[in-house]
Amino acid sequence: MQFDLNEDQALLRTSTRELLENEAALADTRAVMEETSEGYAKAMHGQLGELGYTGLLLPEEAGGMGAIAFAIVMAEMGRVAFPGPFLDLALAIRTLADCTGEVAESWLQKAISGESLVVLARTEDLTNADPARAAIHFDRGRISGSKVFVPFGAHADALLVSTAEGLALATRPGSGWNARELQTLDHAQRFVSIDFDDEAELIADAPAGADLLAQTTRLGALGASAQMLGLMERALEISVEYTSEREAFGAPIGSFQTLQHRCADMLIQTESTRSATFRAAWAEDHSPVEAEYLASVAKVWAGSAGRFVCGQAIQLLGGVGFTWEYDPHIFLKRIKTLEQFHGSARWHIENALQHSPLMES
Amino acid sequence: MDLQFSEDQIQFQQEVRDWIADHLERPFGQDIANPAHDADALVEIRRTWQRKLNDAGYLGMRWEKQWGGRGATEVEEAILNAELNRADAPKIPNTLGISLLGPALIHHGSEEQRKRFIPKMLSADEIWCQGFSEPGAGSDLASLRCRAEPDGDDFRIFGQKVWTTFGPWADWIFVLARTDPEDRYGGISFFLVPIEQEGVEMRPLKQITGESEFGEVFFDGALARREHIVGKLGEGWRIAMTVLGYERGASTLAGPAEYELQLKGLIGALAERGDLERPEIREEVGRLLIDNEVMRSNGLRTLANIASGNAPGPESSIEKIFWSEYHQRMTDSALDLLGPQGQLLARSNDARPEVDWAYQYLWSRAGTIYSGSSEIQRNIIAKRVLRMPTTR
Repeated sequence: MQFDLNEDQALLRTSTRELLENEAALADTRAVMEETSEGYAKAMHGQLGELGYTGLLLPEEAGGMGAIAFAIVMAEMGRVAFPGPFLDLALAIRTLADCTGEVAESWLQKAISGESLVVLARTEDLTNADPARAAIHFDRGRISGSKVFVPFGAHADALLVSTAEGLALATRPGSGWNARELQTLDHAQRFVSIDFDDEAELIADAPAGADLLAQTTRLGALGASAQMLGLMERALEISVEYTSEREAFGAPIGSFQTLQHRCADMLIQTESTRSATFRAAWAEDHSPVEAEYLASVAKVWAGSAGRFVCGQAIQLLGGVGFTWEYDPHIFLKRIKTLEQFHGSARWHIENALQHSPLMES
Repeated sequence: MDLQFSEDQIQFQQEVRDWIADHLERPFGQDIANPAHDADALVEIRRTWQRKLNDAGYLGMRWEKQWGGRGATEVEEAILNAELNRADAPKIPNTLGISLLGPALIHHGSEEQRKRFIPKMLSADEIWCQGFSEPGAGSDLASLRCRAEPDGDDFRIFGQKVWTTFGPWADWIFVLARTDPEDRYGGISFFLVPIEQEGVEMRPLKQITGESEFGEVFFDGALARREHIVGKLGEGWRIAMTVLGYERGASTLAGPAEYELQLKGLIGALAERGDLERPEIREEVGRLLIDNEVMRSNGLRTLANIASGNAPGPESSIEKIFWSEYHQRMTDSALDLLGPQGQLLARSNDARPEVDWAYQYLWSRAGTIYSGSSEIQRNIIAKRVLRMPTTR
């Protein structure tokens, strides 16, 4: 038994951290968030494509690196609150790789290179983003109906749209999608609602599409948990740094036991998220019977842990914690958004129950 | 990263399961639920079970064979403890003797002490209790005042100890006593003291559960022989702190196994009355189940770290806080969900037999206090892991 990363994995973490700190630090996240309409740096996506990150989730024989590597990278992205649809892109790439046909294949290559953005459009209900049977239809080469909360959909070159008939691929029309921008809690997100009446191609029939979407939910939950881990890690570091320096009543406030115990609780939540997330990642690669259960466990835990840790980071910084200038709000917003997507806590609790050995008796 | 047991470990797990199936007559819960069993009877059941474990070589797992141990790894010990809990086997009465005193004697004691004390400790012919805490020295253990005064070659002990688990049934007590009032840490020595003697009064201490598994001990000139000092004079603190760390891996999987059994009882009860279909109840039960699984993930991580030879990190404080607070949260919820039935002790009329809910609820309050309170654990995390500034 061994929990530590092996040499390759440790190297991946170090090099990813270096890359992101140099090319996509939190300051860059801010710039992207505040100054671009895309909400992500396209050039950075190209670079991630060149370096092999976009194909991270591919099956290993197709150049993927496995779920532990995926978790490592997602956690590093969490640390800098990496902006943009990287997780959505990685999930779409994995989905395309599992489909057959020329269209899927050609978009797969363009997506892996980072040249094109492809994401999934699943949600149809403003009141519930949980995995559900799609109601919109694919019929004779066209999809018609609406999706909401499509992540970074306005700039997507192609969308993988879940329909009642299966998974359809739609290419962005010359006039652009018929999309409505959504202004959301997380200022770094770019969600849109899209009304479709577009040409499309079915790349997976209904049963195959359902399997692919279930896989997307499982891997999405894992990726979201890992990203939340990174967000928590950094939020805790910032809290400890700040409370160790800031003085009040003649002492660093971090010497006060109340704040020490709060930070200790943040560590417990964060480290437990690490245990749960990496165990789920390990199961994804090595213990398929547990993988879905453990991904749900990790996602539920990470959501509530993340809310606590990132909320407390704002509290511990006091007045400045509430300002735009200081970073904790970026973490809290991302956590709260990730908690909602890739299966809500409620959905994953039910899923964990259904896969728990304790419920079989 | 590798979170799987090796083939040998899986084989060991199967061997333990088979052995338990052959040797455990019934879950201990049924003994507790039997109104004919008083506290003494339950202790005898536990003593008998300890002997069976000893005969099978399942005690002192990591000790060398010459001291009656098995020379096993921490992973195997953790597997054993998890399997015992999964089967609801009785807890051995000599827990503290075997987890603390045994390692102290093996690593710091004399050859004579090992020969004299270890075999009877393993066979449960002599029950040991721990004399560390005092009314005025709990979390701040080094402020202990119980003292040992020289008397010829030997020592006389004066003072009081409290929270002595299994004290009322113990034959011997291992005592931290002050041999130098000026030296906070170096003035503490580690004595082995027989309880059956003038100068020792053991009073049962009634706990909030209503039972008296703990005791309080009053020493008034009790004799402690020089050959019964463990280590040298003044080494008591160091020895105590070292042995407290030995057990870090042994129980990492045992907690989740025990609580899972309780959750199973809860789920069974709720399913029977159709409550498990109610969404709000499903959600509450689901969260309890998930938290337990996260606890197991923490445990696997600790164990994996130990197995790959890493020094124990912050994990042990995190785990201690996690399991003790989880058990309170879980039993709290369970009692709400079960309704009036949750108020029943297992031995009561009309009680469900699987889990002693009322007892578990009360017992869970001890976990956040003993073995380093949650507050002390949080101090440790803040200072040693997060390196937060100290006052002054």
